[in-house]
Amino acid sequence: MSSSEMKRAKRHLETTRKMKDMLPRFFMRMFERRFSNDPLAWCMVGVPPELLKAFDLLWEWPENFGTICASRLVAPDFIKVAEGDGYSPELCTYVTNTMGYCKRWIDSGEFPEESPMPGGMGNPSMLLGSGFLCEPRYKWFQAIATRFVDVPVYSSDPLAPPWDVDPHDPRITAHYKDLLREDLHGQVEFLERHTGRKLDLGELREIMALSHKALAYWRDTLYLRQAVPCPMGSTDYFSAIIPQMYMVGEEEAVDFYREMYLEVKDRVERKVGIVEEEKYRLIWFGLPPWFNLGFFNYLESFGAVFAIESTYNVGDWFEVELDDPLEAIVERAWVRAVKMHEYGTEAMPELCNPAVFGGFVGSDMLDEAVEQYHLDGAVMHLTRSCRAVSFGEVHTRNRLAKIGVPSLIFESDMADPRLWSDAQIKTRVHAFIETLAGRNQAGK
Amino acid sequence: MHKKSGLDRAAAIAAQPEALVMDLKRQSGRPVIGYLCCFAPPEIISAAGAIPYRITGRPGEPTAEADAYMEPYGCTYVRNVFTQGLKGRLDFMDGLVISHSCDMIQRLYGIWTYYHPLSYSRLFNVPHQVTPWAGRFFKRELDFFKESLEQFTGQAVTDERLREEIALTNRNRALIRDLYRYRLENPPLLKGSEMLSLLLAGGWLPSGDFNVLLTEALAEVKKRAPDRPARPRILVWGSLLDNIAFYQMIEEAGGDVVADDTCIGFRLFEKDIDLSGDLNEGLKDHYFVDFQCPRTDRGPGSGRFEYILERAREYNVDGIVSYIISFCDPHKFDYPDLRDYLKEAALPMLLIDDNYSFAPAGTIQTRLEAFTELLAR
Repeated sequence: MSSSEMKRAKRHLETTRKMKDMLPRFFMRMFERRFSNDPLAWCMVGVPPELLKAFDLLWEWPENFGTICASRLVAPDFIKVAEGDGYSPELCTYVTNTMGYCKRWIDSGEFPEESPMPGGMGNPSMLLGSGFLCEPRYKWFQAIATRFVDVPVYSSDPLAPPWDVDPHDPRITAHYKDLLREDLHGQVEFLERHTGRKLDLGELREIMALSHKALAYWRDTLYLRQAVPCPMGSTDYFSAIIPQMYMVGEEEAVDFYREMYLEVKDRVERKVGIVEEEKYRLIWFGLPPWFNLGFFNYLESFGAVFAIESTYNVGDWFEVELDDPLEAIVERAWVRAVKMHEYGTEAMPELCNPAVFGGFVGSDMLDEAVEQYHLDGAVMHLTRSCRAVSFGEVHTRNRLAKIGVPSLIFESDMADPRLWSDAQIKTRVHAFIETLAGRNQAGK
Repeated sequence: MHKKSGLDRAAAIAAQPEALVMDLKRQSGRPVIGYLCCFAPPEIISAAGAIPYRITGRPGEPTAEADAYMEPYGCTYVRNVFTQGLKGRLDFMDGLVISHSCDMIQRLYGIWTYYHPLSYSRLFNVPHQVTPWAGRFFKRELDFFKESLEQFTGQAVTDERLREEIALTNRNRALIRDLYRYRLENPPLLKGSEMLSLLLAGGWLPSGDFNVLLTEALAEVKKRAPDRPARPRILVWGSLLDNIAFYQMIEEAGGDVVADDTCIGFRLFEKDIDLSGDLNEGLKDHYFVDFQCPRTDRGPGSGRFEYILERAREYNVDGIVSYIISFCDPHKFDYPDLRDYLKEAALPMLLIDDNYSFAPAGTIQTRLEAFTELLAR
């Protein structure tokens, strides 16, 4: 790997280009509030951001910090420190990035200068982990609180029914929803105890209403990508997920997604695509290589565009009754899980996310996506250090092959550019593009 | 020909567990249900009238067949076990039970049952946090598990039947604890590889037959007297070990495995299942609350490793060998914390990171020899 092979993403939408102003403003706002010594939580995806906002809690997201470190190519600096401390190179590089960062911070007493955010991540007074999707996401915080900061930890623990159990059976529904509900109430009790603040359900209801309003624009934007030519690509998508993950419940997020919706709608009406000649429409599976989002632009240079992505997908199932906002969080996690379950979740059983988005996992959903998004092929990123997301790609490839859709699976990582092999990956991309071209010529 | 008994019989069973269970199936007419991991109680499988069979891998065998269905980056044990299924070596199984222990085992369930459906299959779901609501979930999961088995076998899992089965496995546990006591001796009167061989046989034999085997083994061990000088005493911690080869390597390197903290080891047998009250409560405590697998989050701090240090002290251990299978996240996460904790306790630790092959054997053997030499000083 040489860093010259890594390219920053070229975005196609005005709205996402403007994030360069919006995101630093968002992060700086959090940064400035840190000096008030208010409680600050390090959080894992799976913690409902609406709940954090209702507690007016300061937050940091080490996973997101990992993506930022990756995109600025400083993740290897931290990952190497963690490896030197005994953390296996096989472990999630978001984790090892944070562990290396923490070690540098605690050993020196100062925030590491390589940190891409001013002052690094704020000093946490609590850790909010989650068992959603994978075990690293609670083992990680267990280890941080053991080795670096002696603060209380609450890791939520949502489970979902396996693919061959009927989630519509009322006893199964109660079995899983009881766990989700009691766990969420445990989380609220923890937050009340450690913030000294009582949850205001009215405020949470308003935050959720605002959150769902933003997400509805986002969802509708993503549906617009069914249009030919595709009005928006992955570089815009992977930029635009940030408000979905961390800023929901804010007016600014509603404005952002509304503006994006209008821009994309306008492009559809004017038939403006993201490449001059759209030849191949693709679906992306897995985490992106955050250090090389320019890879998507590279594919675009062949006329290949991604119309849909499997990860962070907001889906269509969050508009639930908000009278009891805590029950609404349970309900939206469950409704989403059941919907995914109906599409087949044999490869990705972890479905219940109390936050609002998740993977595009239902394998029968592939058939629909191929038709609705007019897909010619799939590209899957097999991330060595994140098996939780990349497991199932071989199965997905098999499922797509059954309906005549070819796939490319290539290996690298989401945060560690040392695992990127430019020549090898590009050779495979060329071969894949040739396959797609051959199929186009054959009229398939 | 001399009929094998006790320890020799355990070794013979370990060489061909499939043959044993196929005989049992033929003789009894009962279905065989294979299981992975230790959260779904095999006692319930027996109480439902089926034969529980602990699925094991074949360390070091190629797993290329699995490539058509799962990614190369993944637990090599999971890939190995799945390959056994793909090769048809587990075709005698009528059913499959996989506990949601770690991520990879859970994911294996969907892929296995999608490509190779069985007459009966069940994912036994297990929370990661030890909370009151997680305990309630586990107990409900036990009920669903019972019901599903009843539907499959047609035999009700009554409290009486389940109590009988648990009484039998509690007897197993008591005998195993008796055997472990002979490892407190210095030198130990029972080798680690012999003990593991017995424990493995317990995953394949009916509990009553296992009691007979353990009783025979106990009688043999009781007759033993120390016949060699003491050697470094080792506790093995880490990922699943379902083959005696690794313990034999440590023994060949000049160490004695006198204690363990792995899946098929003391953690399964150190306590009885409480029969005095609600059976589900006893099963929940045994298979979830007290079952020490790092996939369960017991909160931060080194306190979660205290039991390892206590065990090491009880067995007068000189050093710890940590065996971790490639991509085993729960153990790989715990390793640096445990290493530091043991360092404070002045207990040396050696890490063997392996892809479930014990290879290259020469390299591993050399590292084990260096470690035992260090401990012997």
